[in-house]
Amino acid sequence: MNNNPKQQPNSTFIPIKHLETIKVFEKKSDCDIWNAFNKGDEMAFNYLYRTYVQDLYKFGSQYSSDLSLVKDSIQNLFIYLRKKRGTLSEVTNIKGYLFRSIQREIIKNIKANASLELFEENFLESHFQIEVSPEVSFIKKESDVQRKIQLQRGLNQLTTKQRKAILLFYEEELSYKEIAEIMNFSEVKTARKLIYRALAGLKEFIKPTSY
Amino acid sequence: MSKYRDHKKYEDYEFEDFLSDEFFVQWVKSPDENNSHFWEKWLTSNPKKRDLVSEAASFVRSIHYKENFEFSDEDYIDVFENILKAEVGIDSCNSIKPNEMKWYSIFSIRGVAASLLVLFCLWAQYEAFNFKTDPEPIPEIVLVKRSNPAGQKSIINLPDGSTIHLNANSEIEFPREFSNDIRLVSLTGEAFFEIEKENRPFIVQSGETKIQVLGTSFNVKKMGNESLYVALITGKVSVDTQDGSQMTLEPNEMLVIEEGGRFQKTGFDPKEVIGWKDNYLVFKTSSLPEIRLKLEQWYGVKIELKGDFDEKWTYSGIYKDEMLENVLRGICMTSGMNYKINKKQITLTNPK
Repeated sequence: MNNNPKQQPNSTFIPIKHLETIKVFEKKSDCDIWNAFNKGDEMAFNYLYRTYVQDLYKFGSQYSSDLSLVKDSIQNLFIYLRKKRGTLSEVTNIKGYLFRSIQREIIKNIKANASLELFEENFLESHFQIEVSPEVSFIKKESDVQRKIQLQRGLNQLTTKQRKAILLFYEEELSYKEIAEIMNFSEVKTARKLIYRALAGLKEFIKPTSY
Repeated sequence: MSKYRDHKKYEDYEFEDFLSDEFFVQWVKSPDENNSHFWEKWLTSNPKKRDLVSEAASFVRSIHYKENFEFSDEDYIDVFENILKAEVGIDSCNSIKPNEMKWYSIFSIRGVAASLLVLFCLWAQYEAFNFKTDPEPIPEIVLVKRSNPAGQKSIINLPDGSTIHLNANSEIEFPREFSNDIRLVSLTGEAFFEIEKENRPFIVQSGETKIQVLGTSFNVKKMGNESLYVALITGKVSVDTQDGSQMTLEPNEMLVIEEGGRFQKTGFDPKEVIGWKDNYLVFKTSSLPEIRLKLEQWYGVKIELKGDFDEKWTYSGIYKDEMLENVLRGICMTSGMNYKINKKQITLTNPK
């Protein structure tokens, strides 16, 4: 949905070279950036790393509280991608592609690690928890505080699948198409239905009181 | 396509229709020229939907991961280096397998060229990283503390250009340099804030309560164990209370949080609440204990009360840049009390 790099709070710590990289690539399409990376352009790799590593970490840590596993998975993914440069197929949405890849890598690593809890195809309850953050204009009156609590309660009742789709849609700004791919749905409309039904379930909590 | 969306026009949209619309979410989360142009135009021609749209937008923005881990600077550099090292087969730590490259394969021309290129990139990276990997002391946060005794007020300019009027009997603490992502000050007593608008939120910590703003002017007061008063003049502030709930204030609203956590919103008289910063001493149906406290704080004196006082008696009056004696004269004229000044010691007596 958007190809803009996320602003990173630690931007001042990033070497200047990276900032220049951002300038070169931020106006380019995902396709062009991916092609440049595939051809061995180091700047393109810098850009990918800089732009997506934080998102991958956040997304990945939804699967496991073992943060070093998430970190290693990200490392392995990039090593793999660099190794395969020249042979990678075309990618039109980098974020969606990287999310699918990191998801596979993390699940593989969790399964390989026998000391960890058995990972089921159905997610654990604890995965992809949502928090209703204090959105300033959302809470105007004291009754709104109550409503926020209600909404949080409603969100907690959703299934892990629904929560995941909602987070990918709103927090990660991914399109239905990308969500369907990440969640292994063969049809895009399955993702749309999943979110629409989750919203319908939340209707009571989120419908504006004044409306 | 889907029956849920595509047959509906935007003007017939309900709450959940907006919320499941990709184009709408895109506008809320990443507004750009194209989507803003459309939605702003649309809102102008559908003014009735404005509230609905803003509620839907609020919902979209309020959804976040609960477990929200930040990739630290150390991890960022660590992983980056490991990725590059794995490439050239330098012995790497942890679980990374070096490229399975046989030593003799290096002797092909392409191999040599590739290795040189990779080494060059590595070198370039190290150059670029140099000023981070050098042992760089964690910037020490130097805190600045300013306090006023009773009878003294001051104006403090912050490094970000904001101004604080610090009242008497009050103390404020802030870092000499604000960090990159937050402007945090802690206050004991009373201060009026005029905050420069910028991206870093400005947070006032008063007791257990945090008051957060972007750019605005407001007054915060918490004397000892009394209630906390937050009064907003311009802009918008939000207040996180001890119990985790959050309140926002509109201009001319005041939030009062009692010690026990109970809170209420009221209006307020600006002169009464923030007049102090312009040297207005304001009494508005003030009781004798209130007057006593205010005078002690304002003039830095001690007041002793002698005799019986009518608890229902109140006093109203405004003084600007006035000497203590004139204020006492004004109060005593309407109340029939007498006053005596002995340096910093005042005695109020009720002859009745």
